[in-house]
Amino acid sequence: MAEETTPAQTEGTTEAHSAGLPQFQIQHWGGQIGYLLILFAILYVLVSKVYAPKIRRIFDERAEAITGALASAKQVQAEAAAQSAAAEKALSDARAQATATAADAKSKAAAETRERQAALEAELGAKLGEAEQRIRTARDAAMLNVQSIATETAQAIVKKLTGAAPAGVKG
Amino acid sequence: MAADPIHQFQIEKLVDFGQVNLPLLGQTDLAFTNSHLAMTIAFTAIVLFMSAVTANMKVVPGRLQTAGEGLFGLIDNLAESIIGHDGKKYFPFVFTVFMLILGMNVLGLLLTFTATTQLAVTGTFAALTIGLVLIIGFAKHGLGFFKLFVPSGVPIVLLPVIIVIEFVSFLLRPVTLALRLFGNMLGGHVALKVFAGFVIALGSMDAAGGLGLLGIPGAALSLSMVVALTALECLVAFLQAFVFAVLTCIYLNDVVNLGHGH
Repeated sequence: MAEETTPAQTEGTTEAHSAGLPQFQIQHWGGQIGYLLILFAILYVLVSKVYAPKIRRIFDERAEAITGALASAKQVQAEAAAQSAAAEKALSDARAQATATAADAKSKAAAETRERQAALEAELGAKLGEAEQRIRTARDAAMLNVQSIATETAQAIVKKLTGAAPAGVKG
Repeated sequence: MAADPIHQFQIEKLVDFGQVNLPLLGQTDLAFTNSHLAMTIAFTAIVLFMSAVTANMKVVPGRLQTAGEGLFGLIDNLAESIIGHDGKKYFPFVFTVFMLILGMNVLGLLLTFTATTQLAVTGTFAALTIGLVLIIGFAKHGLGFFKLFVPSGVPIVLLPVIIVIEFVSFLLRPVTLALRLFGNMLGGHVALKVFAGFVIALGSMDAAGGLGLLGIPGAALSLSMVVALTALECLVAFLQAFVFAVLTCIYLNDVVNLGHGH
């Protein structure tokens, strides 16, 4: 505000006031228009040759980086999915194998058990038969013994009673 | 003198180069004036800002780069959405207009002189825009440029009237472009100055013993008006630059895509 009161400018101001708005003082137009055109031309060249290409390049770079990152992320995701599928498959394979092995072992064990049982049964049957045979022989022998004992007893009784052994009687 | 709201628009010569006689403008003072100074500061600020933005660009932007890219993207999207595929070609022009007007508007709020309150300045912007529209129109379509005034699908009976209306509206485009910006900036700065003047006037009247209790509250109210208006002017400064850019795009679109999408 201080410079407003310098004499030269006060003169200009009073002149302006008589002519209304200072914007209509045509004598100042040429200089402003020419100067603005020069500034405009310089800035236009700077924008079109320097600023815009630089900013567009970084925009492109950014878009590229984003699409690249997206693509690599998608690829990694696909890889992970493939890996998880493989792992799942391996797991199910292993489970199936384990089930098969278990069934195999069970059937094998069952067969073995059956076999051993059969063998045992056969052995027992044989032992039983042998025992029965032994019993039978023993009984027969016992029966024979009973006869001879009875004969001997009868002879002893007769001898005791008669004092002489009966002849011709043999047990 | 202090309360004169028009004085702020007075051109003051800082360095005088004498006078020349120009064909259209008559006697012209050649000088480095306060208007030139304001334009230079705005221009330098824009160049410094854009250079700083583009100096060390990174894929992941910092704060300054984000601000610069925001302005760039704003005008880029605008040109692309209005003009379409060819928008990139005209982007530098629209961006230059936008940045210069924005720079001058905003600096006008910080400095004592606003270049965009000068009709010569806003008129130059409008003339540049319409000049480019005319050049593109005639270069691309030759005399077919005049189809701009004959919209398709209009009944023959109405055609003469429509042509006159379209022609007059086209002639008025540079005038409205220049006057809209000029008027908005002028009005805002006059209003600011008037309310700021009230603060001094009411305060000094109160100090001199007049007005009794009304002086100081009146001055305070005026001061709060100045603050509110300054906020509004910040919005207007951006908005008018944006409006100018939008209209530039629309006018360019008229001739770039003449005949289709019209």
